[in-house]
Amino acid sequence: MSGMQGAAERAVEVAKRLGASEVKAWGSRATEIGLKQRGGRIEETSEASTQGLSVSLLVDDRFSTHSTSDLRPAALDDFLHTAVSATRYLEEDPDRRMADRADMGSADEAALDLCDEGFGARGPDGRRAAVAALETAVLAGDPGDLVSATAHLWEVRSEAWAVFSNGFSAHKASTSFGWGSEATISEPGGKLPEAYSFWSARHLSDVPDAQAVASDLWARMDETRTCAPVDSLVCPMVLDRRAVGRLLGPVLGALGGPALWEGRSFLRDRIGEKLTPEGLEIWDDPTIARGLGSRTFDGDGLLARRRPVLVDGAFAAPFLNVYYARKLGQSPTSGGASNLVVSPGDRSWQDLVGTASRAMRVTSFLGGNANGTSGDFSFGIRGQLLEHGRPIANVAEMNVAGNLLDLLSRFVAPADDTWTWSSWRAPSLVFADVQFSGTS
Amino acid sequence: MHVDQLLDAGGQLDRSSLYFERFGVTDEALRAVLAAALSRGADDCDLYFEHSRLTSLQLRDRKVNAAGTSVDLGLGVRARVGDQVGYAYTEDLSLRAMVGAAKTAAEIARSKPGHAPVDLRQVGLPGYYPVKRRWAEAGLDARVPLVRAWEERAFARDPRVHNVQAYLVDSEKVVMVVRADGRIAQDFQPMCRGFVMVTVEQDGVREANSANLAGRAGLEYFDDTARNERMVDRAVDDSLFLLDAGKPPAGEMPVVLAAGASGILLHEAIGHGMEADFNRKGVSIYADKMGKQIAPDFVTVVDDGTVEGARGAINVDDEANPTEKTALVRNGVLESYLHDEISARHYGVAPTGSGRRESFRCAPMPRMRATYMEPGHHDPAAIIASVDKGIYCASFSNGQVQIGAGDFAFYMKHGYLIEGGKLTRPIKDVNLIGNGPEALERVEMVGHDLVLDEGGWTCGKEGQGVPVSQGQPTVKVGKLVVGGVG
Repeated sequence: MSGMQGAAERAVEVAKRLGASEVKAWGSRATEIGLKQRGGRIEETSEASTQGLSVSLLVDDRFSTHSTSDLRPAALDDFLHTAVSATRYLEEDPDRRMADRADMGSADEAALDLCDEGFGARGPDGRRAAVAALETAVLAGDPGDLVSATAHLWEVRSEAWAVFSNGFSAHKASTSFGWGSEATISEPGGKLPEAYSFWSARHLSDVPDAQAVASDLWARMDETRTCAPVDSLVCPMVLDRRAVGRLLGPVLGALGGPALWEGRSFLRDRIGEKLTPEGLEIWDDPTIARGLGSRTFDGDGLLARRRPVLVDGAFAAPFLNVYYARKLGQSPTSGGASNLVVSPGDRSWQDLVGTASRAMRVTSFLGGNANGTSGDFSFGIRGQLLEHGRPIANVAEMNVAGNLLDLLSRFVAPADDTWTWSSWRAPSLVFADVQFSGTS
Repeated sequence: MHVDQLLDAGGQLDRSSLYFERFGVTDEALRAVLAAALSRGADDCDLYFEHSRLTSLQLRDRKVNAAGTSVDLGLGVRARVGDQVGYAYTEDLSLRAMVGAAKTAAEIARSKPGHAPVDLRQVGLPGYYPVKRRWAEAGLDARVPLVRAWEERAFARDPRVHNVQAYLVDSEKVVMVVRADGRIAQDFQPMCRGFVMVTVEQDGVREANSANLAGRAGLEYFDDTARNERMVDRAVDDSLFLLDAGKPPAGEMPVVLAAGASGILLHEAIGHGMEADFNRKGVSIYADKMGKQIAPDFVTVVDDGTVEGARGAINVDDEANPTEKTALVRNGVLESYLHDEISARHYGVAPTGSGRRESFRCAPMPRMRATYMEPGHHDPAAIIASVDKGIYCASFSNGQVQIGAGDFAFYMKHGYLIEGGKLTRPIKDVNLIGNGPEALERVEMVGHDLVLDEGGWTCGKEGQGVPVSQGQPTVKVGKLVVGGVG
C-alpha cells in the first residue's frame, strides 16, 4: 500500500471519528522534471517529488474542502480537527451528499494506457542531450534574424488515490512528456516577433522528433513576420485547429452547472434546441487511449464515459457534477470536460474558403474575454488575411467580436486537419460573416 | 510554537528567532543545506521556506454553504552559476529531504564545491502591512457576518438583483529566504480578498458582473464599512449597467481610460516589457530603449513595493533584497528595468527588489508589484471633453501582452461612448488592442486624479501567479483598436 493511499485512508478514518458523516480523501504524489536550454547551454533545471492530501467533508450536511502538503502525522490530525470543527459553522446543504455508491466506478486504467512505465529511463544525461539536440535543430532553421531561442523539455509522473467513506476507492496514474521551443526574431522597425511550438504526449515514444518541432516552430514564425492590422472587415473566419479551445471554451462555461443553476448562462433554456447548422459535432470522451484529457473516473467517483456535447446542431446535455445535477433535478454527467473531440470534415480549410475573396484565418488570440451570461465576446487576434484561401498578409493588433450564439449559427464546416496534441482534439473550423476590427 | 508568538504588538514578525525552527530548521540545518546546494561549485544559492494557511468562505443560494482551507509547507532551493539555475523543492522539511533537494539543485554546476556561510544573520525589514487582527485568530464565525452583510446590501440595493454570490478568501504566509552570504529575511505576509458577484434580471434579460477588494491586511481590513459598501454597490450598479449597454463601433479611435483599474494598460503595455529577464535576453521591445524618450515628458510610470497595505506591497523580495519604489519611465524617459539578482548582475546594477515567485515550488524572476502612473495636470472632465468621437473605459477584467512584438490587449467590462466631448451611450464587453511603444507615444493627456485600484489583481508569467496592484489617473490615448461591431 502506498504511503499516500494510507494517508488518504487514515484521513477518512480520523474525519469520521471527529464527526464527519461523509469524507472524500485524495492522496497524491508526483515527480516533475524540467529543463531549459539557451545559447548552447542549460539555462535552468528543475526537479521535485511532491505529495499532498485533500479532503472533502460533510458534517451534519455542511460541506467544506481542505488540502495540505504538511503531512507530519501530528500536523495532519490537527488539520483534520480544525477542518471538521470549522465546517460546523456553515449552513446545511444536503445536495452536497455523495453520489450513490452503485453509480461510482473506475474504468480500466491499463486500457487507457496513460502511464509510460519507462518514465525516468533516459536519465539526466539523456534529457540534457535531448534538449540540446532540440536547440540545435531550432538553430539550424534560423534564417538569419534570430534573437533568442529557448528549448524546453519536461517530464511529469503523477499518481493519486481516491478513498471515499462509502467504500469507493480508486487509483490513477499518468505520465506526460513534452518539449518545444520559443524563438524571437528581429524585424526592421524594432519589433521582435515571437513564435513557439510545444508538444506533449503520455508516452515518450509518441512525442515528435526535434526536427518536426523545429520545422513547426519556423513555419509558425513565418506566420508572425511583418504582422500589421488591416481595415475592419466582415468576412469568413478560419479558426485554426490550435485556437479552437480558446474561442469555444466559454461555451463550456455556459454549459456548466454553476452558470445554469444561477441563470448566468447564455445557454439557459437552450439545451436541446437546434443552434448550429449540421456538421459541428463535439463529444466529450475520457476513454481515448493515451489521451491528454483521458481519465478513469471523475471527482465524484463517477465512471468516465463518452458522451455527446453537441450533435445534430443542438447541445445534448450540460456538464453537471452530482451537486448541480441534484439542484437542477437532472442526472449527473460530469462536472468538467475531458477530451473534447470535434468531428473533422473531408476538405482542407484552404478549399473551404477558396471561393471567398477575403477571409481571416485566426491562429492565436491576445487578451479578450466572453460574457457567459449574454454570450458577447471580443478577443484580440493574430492570423492571416486570406484571398481565395491563400495567405496574402499576416495580421495582428486586430479584434474579433460578436455573440457566441450568433457565431455558432454561422458555422460553415470543419476542415480535415484534426489537432490531437491537446485535450481539445479539433480541426480548423470555418464560420461565415465574422466581424474583425482593425485600422478603420 | 504558533505564529502568534512570533508577532509583536504591531503585527510584525519577531526576528529574534527562526520561525521554521518548529519544523527542525536550525542554524545547523541551514548551513548543511546551503553547503549541499554549493557542493558542485555553484557560485550562489538561496533557500526559500514557506508556510502558508488559506481560508475561503462562500455564500451562494442565500446560504453560507461552503468553506475551504489549505496548508502549504515546503522549501525551494536554487543554485546558480552565472545566469544558469538549478532548482528543486520539497514539502518534507527533514534534514535528509532538504539536503536531497539541495543536491538536486546543485547539479546545475559541475566543478569544485563552494563554501557555505558561517555567519547567518537576520536582516531588518520595513513594515508595509501591519496587522491588527490576525486571520488565524478568527474563526469562521467572525467571517460569516461579512459575506452575509454583503449579500444583504446587494439585494437591498435594487429589486432587479436576482442572485448574489459572495466570497471571502484570506491567507497568512510566513516566508524565510536564506542567502549563501548568510543573510536571512523572514516575513509575515497577510492577504485578504472579498468578492461579490451579482446577477440582475430585467424583462427576462439577465446580466452579471462583479467587484472585489484586496489588500495585505488582517480582519480589520473589512472594518471599513464604506469600503465594503463601495464593493457591493459597484457589483450591483455595474451589473445593472450591462442591461442597457451595447457594443461600441469597431476600429481605431481615441480612448479615455478612467482613473484606477485602467492601470492594466501600464501593466500590459509597459510593465511586462520592463521585466529585465526579457531585456537581458534581448526579447523585449524595450531592450534597446534604456535612456531613450519613449513617452511624452508628462508621463512617469513607477513600480512600487512600498504602498502600505496594497496587494502588491512586499517588505522584502523573494531573494531577500529590499523592496523599493522603482521609476520605470521618468518624464517620458526609460529609466530602469525591474531586476532580480540575475538580471542585476547582467546589467551591473543593484537589484530593484523585484525577484518574486508564486511559491516555494517556483524559482524567482523579475515581477511587478504595484504599477502606476504618477498624476498629471489635466482635469478629468477636460480630458473627456477633448474627444469628439471615442470611448471611455470604466472597468476592466483582464489583459495580455506579447513582449517582443509589444502588442498588448485589455478587456473593458463597461464604459461609455464619447460623442462631442460628452459621455453618451453605455457600452460593454470589448477588447482593446494596441502596441506598447506606439500607445505610450500616443498618450495625449494625463489627469491629476491618480487612483490605485483596490481590486485583487493577479499577474501571470510563465505559469506563476503573483499578487499585484495597479493604478492610473484618467488618461487619454490618441487611438487604439476597439473590438466592437459594425
